Amino acid sequence: MAMMLQRKLLRRTFGEGKAILNFNSNPVLSPCTSFSTVTSAAATPFHNAPRQLPPFDYQPKPYNGPSADQILEKRKKFLGPSLFYYYQKPLNIVEGKMQYLYDENGRRYLDAFAGIVTVSCGHCHPEVLNAITEQNKLLQHATTIYLHHAIADFAEALASKMPGNLKVVYFVNSGSEANELAMLMARLYSGNLGMISLRNAYHGGSSSTIGLTALNTWKYPIPEGEIHHVINPDPFRGVFGSDATRYAKDVQDHIEYGTSGKVAGFIAETIQGVGGAVELAPGYLKQVYDIVHKAGGVCIADEVQTGFGRTGSHYWGFETQGVIPDIVTMAKGIGNGLPLGAVVTTPEIANVMAQKIQFNTFGGNPVCSAGGLAVLRVIDKEKRQAHCADVGSHLIGRLRSLQDKHDIIGDVRGRGLMVGVELVTDRKEKTPAKAKTAILFENMRELGVLLGKGGLHGNVFRIKPPMCFTKDDADYLVDALDYAMSKL
Amino acid sequence: MMHRFISVRRLFSETKCSLPCQLRRRCFSQVARNEIDNRDDLVRKMPPFDYSPPPYTGPSADEILSKRKEYLSPSMFYFYTKPLNIVDGRMQYLFDDKGRRYLDAFGGIATVCCGHCHPDVVEAIVNQTKRLQHSTVLYLNHAIADFAEALANKLPGNLKVVFFTNSGTEANELAMMIARLYTGCHDIISLRNAYHGNAAATMGATAQSNWKFNVVQSGVHHALNPDPYRGVFGSDGEKYAKDVQDLIQFGTSGNVAGFVSEAIQGVGGIIELAPGYLPAVYSTIKKAGGLCIADEVQAGFARTGSHFWGFENHGVVPDIVTMAKGIGNGIPLGAVVTTPEIAEVLTRRSYFNTFGGNPVCTSGGLAVLKVIEKEKLQENAFVVGTSLKERLTALKNKYDLIGDVRGRGLMLGVELVTDQKVKTPAKLETIHVMDQMKELGVLVGKGGFYGNVFRITPPLCFTKEDADFLVDAMDYTMEKM
Repeated sequence: MAMMLQRKLLRRTFGEGKAILNFNSNPVLSPCTSFSTVTSAAATPFHNAPRQLPPFDYQPKPYNGPSADQILEKRKKFLGPSLFYYYQKPLNIVEGKMQYLYDENGRRYLDAFAGIVTVSCGHCHPEVLNAITEQNKLLQHATTIYLHHAIADFAEALASKMPGNLKVVYFVNSGSEANELAMLMARLYSGNLGMISLRNAYHGGSSSTIGLTALNTWKYPIPEGEIHHVINPDPFRGVFGSDATRYAKDVQDHIEYGTSGKVAGFIAETIQGVGGAVELAPGYLKQVYDIVHKAGGVCIADEVQTGFGRTGSHYWGFETQGVIPDIVTMAKGIGNGLPLGAVVTTPEIANVMAQKIQFNTFGGNPVCSAGGLAVLRVIDKEKRQAHCADVGSHLIGRLRSLQDKHDIIGDVRGRGLMVGVELVTDRKEKTPAKAKTAILFENMRELGVLLGKGGLHGNVFRIKPPMCFTKDDADYLVDALDYAMSKL
Repeated sequence: MMHRFISVRRLFSETKCSLPCQLRRRCFSQVARNEIDNRDDLVRKMPPFDYSPPPYTGPSADEILSKRKEYLSPSMFYFYTKPLNIVDGRMQYLFDDKGRRYLDAFGGIATVCCGHCHPDVVEAIVNQTKRLQHSTVLYLNHAIADFAEALANKLPGNLKVVFFTNSGTEANELAMMIARLYTGCHDIISLRNAYHGNAAATMGATAQSNWKFNVVQSGVHHALNPDPYRGVFGSDGEKYAKDVQDLIQFGTSGNVAGFVSEAIQGVGGIIELAPGYLPAVYSTIKKAGGLCIADEVQAGFARTGSHFWGFENHGVVPDIVTMAKGIGNGIPLGAVVTTPEIAEVLTRRSYFNTFGGNPVCTSGGLAVLKVIEKEKLQENAFVVGTSLKERLTALKNKYDLIGDVRGRGLMLGVELVTDQKVKTPAKLETIHVMDQMKELGVLVGKGGFYGNVFRITPPLCFTKEDADFLVDAMDYTMEKM
């Protein structure tokens, strides 16, 4: 019944949507002939367009709330001109279940972006939902001035996932807050001022983390303190290709020439998120960590996007580079969407923080802690990490085949379910294909796939779905992309 | 005999307390007839409450404490020599692991405004969580739009553009950045004894050494605190305002980014800014091209009783208002509200907050606003708060230990001193009284630079009976000292 409804909806939507695409999703009503008549002019042979999303046995509730237009009007009036959104005609998303989202008409979409790499277990995952609901009924908030088991249990569980002596946990409410705290710890512990971050990094939107963030889109013109932005070890666009040693030398140079010789710390994402799923050149972190330690600094791993098994091969992104950081920051996937962040460090570094009072009113509240603990359990129980490795390698494999077929794909990269597809107009020059990316982005939405976008030039598709994404979902995504690219 | 007393008490906490007052009093009078009489009378007067928490089978206080020491920040402190394991909450009451009920006169630090697990708020949160918890503002969702509109409608003037964050610190950080961008200046003035947050810029605005780490905090000038009790100019608001003028003329280029203050300092010990101060300062700041930021994290959302916002008590209209804590009854949520003209600065680049404005928190926030209105919590805060302050003032006249009683509505402070003239902070006595009151079933908060001020900021559903019980407990404790 649900499937028939979906097919009807798809047919209705696609039938009406003449603007960009024109195809019939019903396999019974001769899609092949209609496709070949439409596309014979395109001169590129391609398979049939994906007919429909993989089946999903779920019925969203009927939606009786404000329409997209009404919401947009209120947003313009009450949420300010700086609040942006995706798509020319923005989507009114009213419900979510596992790896799917539903709009106001009940149409289902494949969520390939997970609310920006945040919905790790799946939208409204029953176990996480249950933990949150039950705790909400008992006690929502009291602060750590009183005891409560949830924060202690969650801290213990989180610490047990960490290597080395990383076992003191600070709970905060966002990735920005976590990175702010990590920077404070680095400066206090080392007694030095200078921080080092990578060009193309994103570490937050607060006034200090803006300094660490190194993409002009997000940097307001305000004083940042002493921050050195080093050459990005970007295998695709970087001047040294994948030669980690030469990139590491740049860090050495910055320290020797741009600082007193001593630094507070170094921070990096293992796979840059906002920057366009850029994986650091292999071997880079090992060398840099060494250099930074010699200069008296601490090494911070920003796991806000790569953590919790997403990379498939490892639980934490930094493990893929064979290092152990001094401080780890996390948010996004940690709570499947709950406003929660954390900083984990060693007792040695934590002790320095004990000089003064550091307090976070909401941090570690019973509801978020209970939710966070449920997330850890789901990831383990449902073997999400292995699943990411499995589905991820299948997805990347298919995308690489697509790369052989379409010149517009300049690079396919990433690990597990943290994947990027960079589009270029010229494979040699690697000129960002901004306009075409925008068109394809819209097309994919019409086909029922919600991707993410990133990179300084906005020409990278970010594919980072809820970690329950299946191989069928992956196939649908690639088929849709194939189709959309063929129509360009 | 103590044993019988305890078992009778447990009986009452486990059953639905449906016995009429008279009957209970008779039972008690059989049990305790000696000096402990007064204490029993006191416990008896804890207003009845028709709710029993489910039995607690989780980790004990000791187990939790042990894990906290191992896995959480070494600077994480807790109240009381023997910390409380709080496992359940309902309206203005909290329950420990033994099912004992306490009167929550601190509200999770002025945060739980509607009441713990208020049914309307829980329903909104749970229903939304079941539907869609998170998708970000990249897509539309009505919850954020509806809440922003409702919030904007509560503010005067042209304050109607809302930015959602996840905490007070994030809100104040954003406000300070907006002010600096809008004016092109870096200097911000805050008050000594203020608390605005713990991130880099907000740590600069925060002005109590206990909370300030030895890291670079630039661009903030700390003005004389217009503290009527301890301040050098008493309650003369305008005299204090001159200090701000001086700071600008001598410490800055003459132009500033802005001024930030709480209407009643929270962490600083419930200090009401001297009358006449804010209007004078706002005028000075405007002349220097700066923006006025009102930190309503604690004083906002009907807590002061006479007005919805703390700044309204001073007859000013700020350029930017920040809020958190009470906005969501405990859900991690913060907000910055400003004018469209000022909000425009953020269009120069992209500002984005992943969790900010998520459907669950905004649904919760909207439910909070509705509860405050429906249950007339502002009026309640005014009526109960006024009565409570009167009784506390009477207590002040009785005990030399109480140096000052101040505040508005249900944001009250009681400062303890060992010497009324010199105003020497009575730190140890404060800890003792706080501990004793907890034994009697009342949880208050502590604040002030010297840690000698009781902060009374309960859920706004606090009743007159609750207030009387609180004062009786304080009276009893002080009498025994």
